[in-house]
Amino acid sequence: MVDLSALFGQKKADIKKLTAAKDISGLIRALHSSDMNTQSEAAKALGSLGPAAMDALIRALKKRGKVIRLVIIQALTEIRDPKSVPVLIETLKDESSEVRWEAAIALGEIGEPQAIEPLITCLRDHDKYVRLGAAFSLARIGWKPPNDEEKAFLFVGMQEWKAVQLIGNSAIPALTNILHDRHSNVRIRAIEILGELKSTQATPALIQSLADENSEVRWKAVLASPKCGIKLMHLPRGLSRRPKLKKNPLIAGFLNFMIPGVGYAYIGKWWGVMIYEVDIFATVWAFKFLGEEFTYWTLLPLDLLLALHAYYITTKMPEPSI
Amino acid sequence: MPFPRLLALKRPDTKVLVEARDIKGLIRLLDHGDFDTQWRAARALGTMGNDATSLLLRVLENPNINIRLGVIEALASIRDPAAIKGLQGILASDETSELRWAAALALGEIGHQTVTPALLSALRDDDRYVRYGAAKALEQVGWSAETDQDRAFYYIALQDWDAIKKLGKSATGPLIDRLKERHPAIRAQIIEILGSIGGVEPRRSCEQGLRDPDGDVRWRAVLSSSRCGVPTSQLPMGLSKRPRTGPSVFGATLLNFFFLGLGYDYLGKWWGLLILETYMTLIVLAQLELSPFMPFMTFMPFIIAYPVTAIFATQTFFMAKRESDLSV
Repeated sequence: MVDLSALFGQKKADIKKLTAAKDISGLIRALHSSDMNTQSEAAKALGSLGPAAMDALIRALKKRGKVIRLVIIQALTEIRDPKSVPVLIETLKDESSEVRWEAAIALGEIGEPQAIEPLITCLRDHDKYVRLGAAFSLARIGWKPPNDEEKAFLFVGMQEWKAVQLIGNSAIPALTNILHDRHSNVRIRAIEILGELKSTQATPALIQSLADENSEVRWKAVLASPKCGIKLMHLPRGLSRRPKLKKNPLIAGFLNFMIPGVGYAYIGKWWGVMIYEVDIFATVWAFKFLGEEFTYWTLLPLDLLLALHAYYITTKMPEPSI
Repeated sequence: MPFPRLLALKRPDTKVLVEARDIKGLIRLLDHGDFDTQWRAARALGTMGNDATSLLLRVLENPNINIRLGVIEALASIRDPAAIKGLQGILASDETSELRWAAALALGEIGHQTVTPALLSALRDDDRYVRYGAAKALEQVGWSAETDQDRAFYYIALQDWDAIKKLGKSATGPLIDRLKERHPAIRAQIIEILGSIGGVEPRRSCEQGLRDPDGDVRWRAVLSSSRCGVPTSQLPMGLSKRPRTGPSVFGATLLNFFFLGLGYDYLGKWWGLLILETYMTLIVLAQLELSPFMPFMTFMPFIIAYPVTAIFATQTFFMAKRESDLSV
C-alpha cells in the first residue's frame, strides 16, 4: 500500500506534536479531520491530557455548532471519563436530534448508572433516532424495566413491535406517545398495534388519530377503531376534524381583484403568474398611451370578471378526499 | 362571578336543550366550534325519538357538512325506518364521500332488510371509506353473499386480500372493475392478485397496468405480467406507452421562449419566477424608453429578446427531456 496521506502532509495534523505541545485547541481542531484514525487519535490524546483538556472539550460542547458538538461527543465517548457524564446528560436536551442521539449512544458506551434516569426520559423523545439510541444504551448499561409500562417504552424505542404487542394494555402509553412522530410509518405501526390490543383504553388515542394529517394514517385509524370499541357510526365525524386543505374562494377572488392572476396562483394554477405578468404589462402600456382614466375604467370590470372567475372555480374545486 | 357564565357560553349545556326538546337548538350546536359539543348534540338528538325524524330529514339538505353528519348520526340512533329513503338518496348520489360513508353506516344501524340493495351498490363506490362502511353495514343487517361477485366486492371493500385470493377466478370481474381506484396502493394490490389468478382478462389488465400513471403499479404489473403469460420481450414496449405524467417538454420550451422563466416555473424550479420578473421588467422598461418612436417601436424589445429566449428555450428543451426520462 502506498501511503497517500504523505501527499496531504500539510493538512494532516500531527497528533504527537500537538500532544507534546499540549495544544488543546489544535487537538480539538484535529477532531474535525475526515480521517477516522486522526479523529480517534486526537480524542485519545485529549483524554491523556487530563482535566484541562476535559474542561476545554466541555466548554466547546456548550458553545460550538452542531457538527463540532457531534465530534466532541464522539471524543468524549472515546475518552470514557465518568466526569463527562453530567455534561452529556445535559446534552440529551439539545435542540438538534442528531446531537441528542449521539449523546444517548455515548452515555451507553460510558455505562455510568447515573445516566439511566435521563435515558428513560429520552425513551419519550419525539424523534425515533433518539428513542432508538436511548433504548440500546439502557440495554447496554443493563437496565431492567421495573414494570410492563416501562418495558413497552423500551421496546417501542427499539422498534420491536411484536414484543410491544405481547405486553398488552400496559403498552398503550408508549404507543400513544409516538402517535405524534414525524414519520407516518411509525404512526401507522402504533395504530395497527393499538387496534390489535382490542382494548377500550386505546379509544382516546385512536380518536385523536382519526384527524391525522396523513390520509394513510387516518385509514388505518378507521380500521383499528371498531376493534377497540369505537362505534363505526362515530367515525365520519372523527375524520371531519382533519386539517382541511381546501382553498378559500373569497381569498382567491379578492386576490384576483387586487392583483389579477395572483388569485389563480393561490389556488395552485401555475399559469396564474402568466396572467399577472400580462396584466402588469397591459396596465403599464395602457397608462402610457391611453391615459390614466381610460385605463381604470377598462381594467376595473376586467378585474371584477377575473375575481368572479377565481371565486367560481375555487368553489367548484373538489373537497380533498378523505 | 362572570367567569363560570363565560365558560357556560363557550360550552353550551345540551341537557337544558334536551329537556326543552329544543331540536332546532341542538341542530345548531352540530356545527359548534368545540368537537365535544358537536358530539354531545348529535347524541342528544338521537334520544329525541321518532317525532324528530321529519325535522331532521329536512335539515339533511343543509349545505353545512358538520350539521349533515350530525343529523345522520342522530338518525342512526333513532332508527326510524322513515329515514331510510333520505339516507339512501345521500348514499347513492351525494358528492361528499364522508356523507355517503356516514349514510351507509346509518343504514346498517337502522338495520331494515330493505336497505340491502342500496348497500350492495355502495360496495361498488369509488371511495374506500364508503365501500368499507357499506360492507360493515351489510354485516350488521345480517346479509350473506348470494353470488360470488357480491362476495368478491365485499372482500375488496374490507381490503381482505387473502380472502379475495381464495375466491380465485370468480373475483376477476370485480377486481378489474376496481382498477379505476384512486389509491395507487390498492391498484398495485389488485394487479398483483390478478397476476396470481391468471387468465385472459387478468392478462389484459396487467398489460393495462403497464401504462399506469403510478410507478409502483407499473412495477407490480411487470412482475404480474410474466406470470400471466405476457411475453417478457413485450414489456418494455408496453411500458413505453404509459402517459407522461410529468410536465410536457414542448410546453416548457414554448413557455420559456415567449415568457422567459415561466417554463422553468412550470418545470417546478422556484427561481423561474425570478427570471420571469427580471425579463418582463426589462422588456417594459425598454418599451417605455423607446416610446417616442411609437407605435412601431413597441415591438423592438421583443425583436431583440427573441433570439436570446430562443437560446434559453433550447436549453430548457434538453433539460426537460433529461428530467422526464429519469424514471421508468
